[in-house]
Amino acid sequence: METIVILTLVASAVRATTPLLLAALGGLFSERSGVVNIALEGIILFGAFSAAIVTYYVEQPFVRDTPGAVVWYAPWLGVLAAMVVGALVAGIHAVVSIRYKADQIISAVAINLMAIGVPSVILMGLFGNSTTSGTVTNRLPLWSLGPFTFSPLVYLAFVLVPVVWFVVFRTAFGLRLRSVGEHPEAADSVGISVTRMRYAGVMLSGVLAALGGAYLSIGAFNQFITEMSGGRGFIALAALIFGKWHPLGVLGATLLFGAFQALETQLGGTALLPPTVVQSIPFILTMLVLAGFVGRAIPPKAIGKPFIKS
Amino acid sequence: MNERIAIVGLAALTLLSLWLAPWAALNRETGARSAILLLPNRVIDFTDRTPPVEVPGQTTVLVLSLVGLAAIVVAGALPDRWRQLLWLAAGVVLIGTTAWGLSQFDTAVDEQRRLSVRDDVRAAIERPRPAYDLDVLQALVDDPAALTIDETVARAREGGLIIRRLPFTGAALGPAAFLTVVVGLFAILSGARLARAVNRPLDRALAGAAVPAVSIVLALVAAAVVILFLQPTPRATSFVVEGPLVALAGRLDTVWFAYYTMFADSLSTAKGFADALSFTTPLIFTGLAVGLGFRSGLFNIGAPGQMILGAIFTMFVGLYVPGPAWLVLPLAVAAAAFGGGLWGALPGWLKARFGANEVINTILLNFVASALLLFMLSSSPTFAAAAVRVIQYFAVVLGAVLAALLIPPARRALGRRPRLVLALLGVVLLVGAVIVSQPQPGDRPYVLQLPFKMPGSEPKSYELQESVRLPRLPAVFGIDLRQTPGTNVVPVDLALPGALVLGVAALVLVNRLRRPGRLGARLGVAAAAALVAYGILAVLGWRDAPLAIPPSNLNPSFLMAIAAAIFVHFFLFRTRFGFDLRASGLSPKAAQYGGANLPRNTVMAMAISGALAGLTATHYVLGGALEDYALRQSIPTSDGFDGIAVALLGNNSPVGIVLAAFLFGVLKNGGSLLNITFANLTRDVVSMILALVVLFIAAKGFLPERFTNPLRRAQALGDLPPELVPEAPLPVDPEVAGAGYEPGPAGTDDEAEHQGPPEEERG
Repeated sequence: METIVILTLVASAVRATTPLLLAALGGLFSERSGVVNIALEGIILFGAFSAAIVTYYVEQPFVRDTPGAVVWYAPWLGVLAAMVVGALVAGIHAVVSIRYKADQIISAVAINLMAIGVPSVILMGLFGNSTTSGTVTNRLPLWSLGPFTFSPLVYLAFVLVPVVWFVVFRTAFGLRLRSVGEHPEAADSVGISVTRMRYAGVMLSGVLAALGGAYLSIGAFNQFITEMSGGRGFIALAALIFGKWHPLGVLGATLLFGAFQALETQLGGTALLPPTVVQSIPFILTMLVLAGFVGRAIPPKAIGKPFIKS
Repeated sequence: MNERIAIVGLAALTLLSLWLAPWAALNRETGARSAILLLPNRVIDFTDRTPPVEVPGQTTVLVLSLVGLAAIVVAGALPDRWRQLLWLAAGVVLIGTTAWGLSQFDTAVDEQRRLSVRDDVRAAIERPRPAYDLDVLQALVDDPAALTIDETVARAREGGLIIRRLPFTGAALGPAAFLTVVVGLFAILSGARLARAVNRPLDRALAGAAVPAVSIVLALVAAAVVILFLQPTPRATSFVVEGPLVALAGRLDTVWFAYYTMFADSLSTAKGFADALSFTTPLIFTGLAVGLGFRSGLFNIGAPGQMILGAIFTMFVGLYVPGPAWLVLPLAVAAAAFGGGLWGALPGWLKARFGANEVINTILLNFVASALLLFMLSSSPTFAAAAVRVIQYFAVVLGAVLAALLIPPARRALGRRPRLVLALLGVVLLVGAVIVSQPQPGDRPYVLQLPFKMPGSEPKSYELQESVRLPRLPAVFGIDLRQTPGTNVVPVDLALPGALVLGVAALVLVNRLRRPGRLGARLGVAAAAALVAYGILAVLGWRDAPLAIPPSNLNPSFLMAIAAAIFVHFFLFRTRFGFDLRASGLSPKAAQYGGANLPRNTVMAMAISGALAGLTATHYVLGGALEDYALRQSIPTSDGFDGIAVALLGNNSPVGIVLAAFLFGVLKNGGSLLNITFANLTRDVVSMILALVVLFIAAKGFLPERFTNPLRRAQALGDLPPELVPEAPLPVDPEVAGAGYEPGPAGTDDEAEHQGPPEEERG
């Protein structure tokens, strides 16, 4: 009995960690290249939205004839669409903040605002209501591992941690990315294109964050609901800071926040605490973390500053 | 040069639109089906049942418009003086022609309506019913021309005949006519440069308004493309679309009508205007909140949370503090400001003390605040007995630790091994929590008594006591809508506001004089001017002008918002502290070198910013804008985010913020009408437009540096003394306003000494 409770808790913690981890790893690329990415929240939403919409329309011709028809490739196309849209949306952020040297926070806030309005407008045109998409029959499959069954994106998220570590700290690309975030003038003087590296960093962050969104809409759930990200992008950002812009640190931080979210879900149904109280715990915890009560975080030096080539 | 290309391009576009786009709409049925008129005399009837209308003079209008536009295009290649002269003339011709054409159109449509009503009356006379007064109806048929259409309908009602539906509803100008007028206006403005004196003020206005104006136009165009894809042309089932030109005209009309819906109600009806102002009120507050933050170099995304805290605090006063209105009402307003200020000061303090980035903290506090609101309005705040014991245990332990930290020797002892102490604390908390959470006999769940939750499942509070309620617009004039529904006409003293405006205008004029004299004398002159103006206006009959008061949620909170804008203006630009804040915003290091107290400024700026956001509670709670005078979960906290768009569009200046808030208020009021009018469009279109405005302003409207960089602008205008004109391209200072992003404690080494926590106090 006890083990089952604990296993459920662990499984739901891992599930809650996944979108946070994917988004935070994405944010790592962007911030290591020197571009703040508060738009993670919005990109998650756009990813979730496009994954659900594409999956829905790919499976629709089959499901209409035989309800419950299996279209194995539908959710994968949804994931692909999420990645493309994520890169495009992040691309907007990149163009505005790199090419037009805009304030990176304002441009990201604009993307977050769009992520609230634009899906609603499109949903109204497609489904006649402005809050939910149609339900998807073919969600992402579940792969089992020992006593657990997880969506493939869960495994992907955790596999990505060493991969990201390797890419950022052991490859030429990673070295250039970090140099652009630490000292763009120096990087520029040795012939690294600051602009190109930053575009790469931001668009990679869009791809990863959108994967987190796809996990929400067609992995953990079966439709898109407006604002279904519920602040996960911001928590991921905080986890990135808490994890000191390092993949392993990010893994630890997101696991901590994920555990709290799992606790929230577990406690939500019981009469132990009012759900609203439990809901706000991760946010308060994040603030305490940010205030530096738990160690100091040193950001990339050139973060938030547009690069002006002289 | 750019101005010339822009106007010629716009004129060419308008030429195209005169051929392709509707010039006016004859009729709009429910569901936005339309009958549209293209010049000359081409009618496309998507309703399939609009009777034909002859509008005289259309050929003339078309020819004159074409001539005017062609003149503008051709003159674009002429030397300056000739071009300006020709543009001036062409502009006058375009506007005059369009105005004349539209008046012809109105007359023709009115005539058709009158004929239709007369037909109805005739039919009624031929088949009389007992309710009809045949004498009155017969008089209508005999002599119809002297009456307006409204009077005819009213007279028919006296005669017992109720005309429910007039034909040709929603007849109005179309995109082609609108574009023609816009081109005319621009041509006149540009042509006015013929008078040299116009040049400088015009350049200045253009330079200042360029980025916001271009951004809003770009956002509207982008949203138009989205509407184009989403909303099919509404048409009767019997209507057959023939050819691409008809389809195109239909699409253009649909997009046009979507925007017409968004703007027309607010700008052409009293109720719409009042509703737009009602939407404007909270936006002014949040726009000021965000704008003041920007001016101080802080990005306050926490306005939604501050709004909620303001509302909660004002609820406490509004429900529980007894006393007369003159005492409790100001207290309630102050409570709103205090609640918001507290919620704003918290991230300010975290930034000043620990260097924690305010952007992320304000966002996180939004989530905490909305959870708090949900908790305050939830129906069963039940805590398990074990959970209560754990909370009590935590409180005792943490209280003990805090108390220990207050005693210097104990603090030093703890500070020597911060990590060990933290780990120990964690273990103590965890083990203790497990022990005290063990179930005990006699455990009963603990239900918290919430202070203002209305019993029942609906998440809303009790209603406020009468004394703190701000009256809504009709109630201000003593109209009780529950007893006398419908539009109410009452005599209103318009002379007083008129005199006030003239007095302020006089003050501004006197201030502009070369030697304005003492403040007392200037105020005296202004007061005298106001007094004289009042007398004249009163004689003119403005004292008892009959005014129709529309039912609306507009309430005195709007005046508070205006007062807040004036306060912010004086605070920022006329006080020492405001100067300090702006200096800290422009260049923190320079300000600090000049003696500014940065940590204090950060906390104070965030507190004032939060207080402004909290004051939205005067509108939503005290003003009863949420259905009734109670706090509901539906309080639209997105206004806090919209404040960012308002502040950016308003250039962070109070005057600009009020104007931008009004623009968005109009759009929001119109957005709520989109739901009703179009099947596939919702108010979300407006939130999309807002987001796009923020994005485009962030990118400086994709404009060249001449418009966006203050130094370059001054240089282009010739305002810069020659020794200051830079030779190399100017660098953009990345640390200006909100860009100084330092996640985690203290970004740079020298700041760490001031902002980073001393080692022994952490934990």
